[in-house]
Amino acid sequence: MTTSMGAKVRPLLLATLALVALPFLLRALGLSLDTGIWAVALAVAAMGLNLCIGYTGLVSFGHSTWFGIGAYAAGLIQLHWFPNQIWLPLALSMLVVAASSFIVGIIILRRRGVYFSLLTLALAALSYTTAFRWSALTGGEDGLGGLKRGSIGTISLDNAVAYYTVVAVIGLAALYFLLRLTRSPFGHVLVAIRENQLRASFQGYPVERYKLAVFVISAVVTGLAGALVAFQNYLVSAEAVSVPFAGELLAMVVIGGMRSMLGPALGALFFVVFRELFSIWTSNWLLWFGLTFVAFVMYSPDGLVGIWHKLMRRFRPLPEEAAAMSKRKIYDGLPLPAFLRPDSLEGTVLEVTGVSKHFGGIRAVNDAGIKVAAGEIHALIGPNGAGKTTLFNLISGLYTPDQGTIRLQRRDIHGIGPDAICHQGLARSFQITNLFRGLTIYENLRLSLQARRPMRFNIWRDIDSFAEIHAETAELMKFLGLEGIERIEAGALSYGGQRLVDLGIALGSKPQVLLLDEPLAGLAAAERERVSNLVKNIAANIPVLIVEHDIDRVLGFSQNVTVMNQGEVLMTACPQAVRADVRVQEIYTGKGIPAVEHQRIDAVAGEADPLLRFDRVNTFYGKSHVLNDATLDVREGEIVALLGRNGAGKSTLLKTIAGLVPAASGSIEFQGKDIARCRRRKSRGTASAMCPRAAACSPA
Amino acid sequence: MQLEFLLEQVVNGLVLGGYYLLISLGLSLIFSVGGVVNLAHGAFYALGAYASVEVTQYLGFGPAVVISPVAVAILGIFFERFILRRFYTADPIFGLLVTFGLAMVTEQAIRIIWGAAPLSASIPPAFHGSVFVGDFLFSRYRLLILAVVALVLLGVWFLLQRTSFGRVVRAGIQRPDMVAALGIRLEPYMMAVVMLGVGMAALGGAFFAPITVVQPAMGDEIITVAFVVVVIGGLGSFWGVVIAALLVGVVRGITINYVPAAGEASIYILMFAVLLVRPRGLLGERIEKFE
Repeated sequence: MTTSMGAKVRPLLLATLALVALPFLLRALGLSLDTGIWAVALAVAAMGLNLCIGYTGLVSFGHSTWFGIGAYAAGLIQLHWFPNQIWLPLALSMLVVAASSFIVGIIILRRRGVYFSLLTLALAALSYTTAFRWSALTGGEDGLGGLKRGSIGTISLDNAVAYYTVVAVIGLAALYFLLRLTRSPFGHVLVAIRENQLRASFQGYPVERYKLAVFVISAVVTGLAGALVAFQNYLVSAEAVSVPFAGELLAMVVIGGMRSMLGPALGALFFVVFRELFSIWTSNWLLWFGLTFVAFVMYSPDGLVGIWHKLMRRFRPLPEEAAAMSKRKIYDGLPLPAFLRPDSLEGTVLEVTGVSKHFGGIRAVNDAGIKVAAGEIHALIGPNGAGKTTLFNLISGLYTPDQGTIRLQRRDIHGIGPDAICHQGLARSFQITNLFRGLTIYENLRLSLQARRPMRFNIWRDIDSFAEIHAETAELMKFLGLEGIERIEAGALSYGGQRLVDLGIALGSKPQVLLLDEPLAGLAAAERERVSNLVKNIAANIPVLIVEHDIDRVLGFSQNVTVMNQGEVLMTACPQAVRADVRVQEIYTGKGIPAVEHQRIDAVAGEADPLLRFDRVNTFYGKSHVLNDATLDVREGEIVALLGRNGAGKSTLLKTIAGLVPAASGSIEFQGKDIARCRRRKSRGTASAMCPRAAACSPA
Repeated sequence: MQLEFLLEQVVNGLVLGGYYLLISLGLSLIFSVGGVVNLAHGAFYALGAYASVEVTQYLGFGPAVVISPVAVAILGIFFERFILRRFYTADPIFGLLVTFGLAMVTEQAIRIIWGAAPLSASIPPAFHGSVFVGDFLFSRYRLLILAVVALVLLGVWFLLQRTSFGRVVRAGIQRPDMVAALGIRLEPYMMAVVMLGVGMAALGGAFFAPITVVQPAMGDEIITVAFVVVVIGGLGSFWGVVIAALLVGVVRGITINYVPAAGEASIYILMFAVLLVRPRGLLGERIEKFE
């Protein structure tokens, strides 16, 4: 699972060729070399921006700020301290950008998603008005003029060819740096943050630090481009920090393609050539550029590179991955790999005492306590809403408890955050699979194994040079029974496969105690057996705390059982005692409700016409086949109860009836009309109302 | 003296805030219901101003401030149907990008149709001059604008809080899937919200045309301020936007008096300050899709 040397150096070779060919191409088009300098500098700026957008998923509308600060800083430093020099002003301007982006990043990286984008937009507007109004410093409307390009030895950089060469070499150096960065452990974590920030933090990555670091690096690269453009023009104008320019940078990234390193560079070249060629015959080139941009966002969000890949796909189609899971090799009964076995554990490993959490007026967890000892499988059971998952969230650091203590091997881990808790030796899986869906299975697991080593912050060394990590990943894949399908994307796996990967991610953190949240939910019988055995194998070395609704199975393999009900711990005992306990039986079967005769009198049923017919319906969530030929009739005057364990598909069936989830096949008839194909049951008069199980009503 | 002066600045700031409010309210509604950050909102404001200047030449001011918002609202139908609708369920970033592109296209289109030079629009004769309100001297036209803003505000509040239309829209902000499960199609509501939103922006453009500079980039200038208002107020909150617009107006008004050059900057600094204390804005609630 390493990348070939050819694939690694290809972007660099391509870029070098392009930089050599560009001047000739421009001349053929009747354009000057100045256009080439512009294109290369903007390419560097766009690649820097794309480190935020494409790699980390932080869509910044404000990178014009860094472009502008880089330009102004370089200009001011040259004018005030190093007249006629270019190298020191360039280097020092990078420092200025780094310092200012560090401070700004601390503030605006507190928010994610759309809020982050809006904050950066406001930042761009703020820097523009500052540059425009603070004319004592920046020259305001007139700009900051009188810059010099300086010289190298006797070669004056005022010569366009010489300056082009300098910019091209700096551009190549920036590209080389960015390529190293994206291939490093650090760069791989950025992609993990883009795919699933929450899971990355549970894997032990301090995501805020990574985001701040990448924000600063990206700002510095873009700022460097700004400084190069300043010397190219001998002038810095407020246009360099304007909001429209921030948008143009973004457009270059999108048009080029944000999913590849060179895509934004291609977008920058496209922008510059488009501008030069169109402005020859129309002054409204921005209209056409805007339309092109809109068309790309609507029809090809992956940009030019995406179009190229689609074309290539025509000639070289991807191999069929449909039967992915069948290619794997399963070895039954493998012992836990040695590197995952914690040093000898004794006594109580995890001790939770008196933990409470309230959400508004709801006591989700109240004064709960649990002890997990070395060598045991400890089951946590209880009806829906008992507070099991909330307790998991409290222990693993998603929420901070209002009260109580949580100790892991006698160290307090209360309120220290998920990534720090992971480093203390606690890992968890999730009830609803929580993977890096766009990454390969191999990468999902490798990220876990890398997270607990110091090299996780390394931004320079290639990931392939860490042989030990790769060996460990391969061994973990083998243990889980996923060997042979390393390159498949996690999101493309069947549901059972995804559960295994989720378990593997938790296990890869080399925990001293493992929290598993319903690892068997939604699995087929054979799969349940296999995963149960896997859990038993793990528990031989790592104590496991497991939430599971398959009561019979979980009581079968656990040594201790804690029962929760309504946010409180009811009892902790061995499985036999729990099974015999009257209170537990009451919780599960209810009490004080008169027994209802669940008998259908067929004679009556036969007479009434079915009001709602549900015939051989199949429903999928992605690849997960949830409803399998489900069939059901509801007749006039009937109450039909839908029973089944968690993950059986009860809610999905209701959602399918209500039209919230489309049925893949089968028919749903209501009063004789087929409504299976109506989205959201817009057919009037279909009075199927749905009462959601959680209180999901609008507080309106 | 000092107090009176300050009071006067506050009142001036309120007028400025009313101006921001017309733009921000529609922006906030579209944002809250559809989940799309409409960066093209400023373009509709500009179109409203240009349309009203155009119509005024033939029919006079009165018809212009009615026709122009209605025309822009009708344009909003196409905008919603053919572009915005594709982005409700997509990653919000793409909605941001596509509307940004549209703003760029609209600005250029305005440049082609009406030229790059600013157009002049004049205050209708009936509203020339000033009146005393208590101790303060106010231009009649600004009072008219204040009255219009207050009326619009009241109307929107009534629509959202007191009609079944408003109930569906407010429910749609919180739980679009639940609204759908109750058998209500959100699409027509969304179209109405977009029409209302861009119509209000155009109304703002029509009324402010005589007292600002009508030029192609006028939308760019207002859009960032409008977003600052929405972000300070909090997504999905009617009163949050109202309070934030007035606050921004007052802060800007006072700053311009002491440090004229920092007027623009003050509102962004205000925004960063508010967000440090209240990450979801003054009255914002947690809405999952924007996190």
